[in-house]
Amino acid sequence: MNDPATSQTSFSQDEKDILQEIMNIAFGNATADLAELIDVQVILSIPDIRIMGFTALPKFLHETINHGQQTAATGQKFRGEFNGTGLLFLPLGAERVLEKFLSDSQRDKLSKQEGKDMQTGLLVEISNILIGACVGKISELLNTVVSYTPPELFTEGGNDYEFLLEHFDTEQTAIVMKTLFQFDQQDFHGLLLILTNYESVNWMKKALIDFMQQYED
Amino acid sequence: MIEKILIVDDSPVARKMLKNSIPKDKGYEIFEATDGRDGIKKYQILRPQVVFMDLTMPDVDGYKALEEIRKLDKNAMVIVTTADVQPKSISNVMELGAFTLLKKPAKAQIIEEALSKAEMALKGEK
Repeated sequence: MNDPATSQTSFSQDEKDILQEIMNIAFGNATADLAELIDVQVILSIPDIRIMGFTALPKFLHETINHGQQTAATGQKFRGEFNGTGLLFLPLGAERVLEKFLSDSQRDKLSKQEGKDMQTGLLVEISNILIGACVGKISELLNTVVSYTPPELFTEGGNDYEFLLEHFDTEQTAIVMKTLFQFDQQDFHGLLLILTNYESVNWMKKALIDFMQQYED
Repeated sequence: MIEKILIVDDSPVARKMLKNSIPKDKGYEIFEATDGRDGIKKYQILRPQVVFMDLTMPDVDGYKALEEIRKLDKNAMVIVTTADVQPKSISNVMELGAFTLLKKPAKAQIIEEALSKAEMALKGEK
């Protein structure tokens, strides 16, 4: 017999394929929005959809992105029928590199908006743009609306991710939409995760069917 | 005149969305390739008049496949369909010789318009 927790959150291969394409579209849109802030191209990779317990997240992140490297983690929660958290991981120091790509006028604007700490502000702003545009596009494609909490810096310079467990119900199963990316001609990668949980699964399954319905014969 | 169309995309969902958005009444023969390498191979065999090409694909991506197809046939008509609409990505594919670029998910009307333009361009070549 199936484990109830797993069966609640299981997706068929078709559903995963649809979700993967939706994530691909959403992240592509998000990077175009980011290009308006920083003048650097983002090299996209193929998104990956995984289902795992929240307790497995720290190990997954360690294996996926840092291998001991220190990273900054930023993110924000979103609420609605589509409910979850967006997380952005960048190597420590990436903000200093990315700051160079801000135009002067934007730098002035950000300085006013974000206060004294320009580099931390930039990390949070990049997180806000990527997560907001990505989750917003997923929501648009799946015909729903979400609201967001303000973006926040979870950790700057950590190399383990146990802290994340404080932010989630560890009894739950996470649907992890993962996109690795690289900034053009920069020697570092970033990782965007969109996490949702079983409370959104039934809605999501129906929304995925509705989305594909418009492309059926 | 467009007779054969090749869709190159690693996502089965994206291929289905595109295939079902292409007008049915024109009698196009539609073929599919699952990545850039497969796309180049099928282009050589099928010689389609129009190729719809994704960019983000494993192994051989859309940029490389577009470049290779244009090397094989300098008149190859490749319509890039992508979610990657960053200004630099757009300028890169246009420099590589893409006919046009459509933002995913492209609506049926947009696809029909792109095919009409391709048809006119093909007539102009003759």
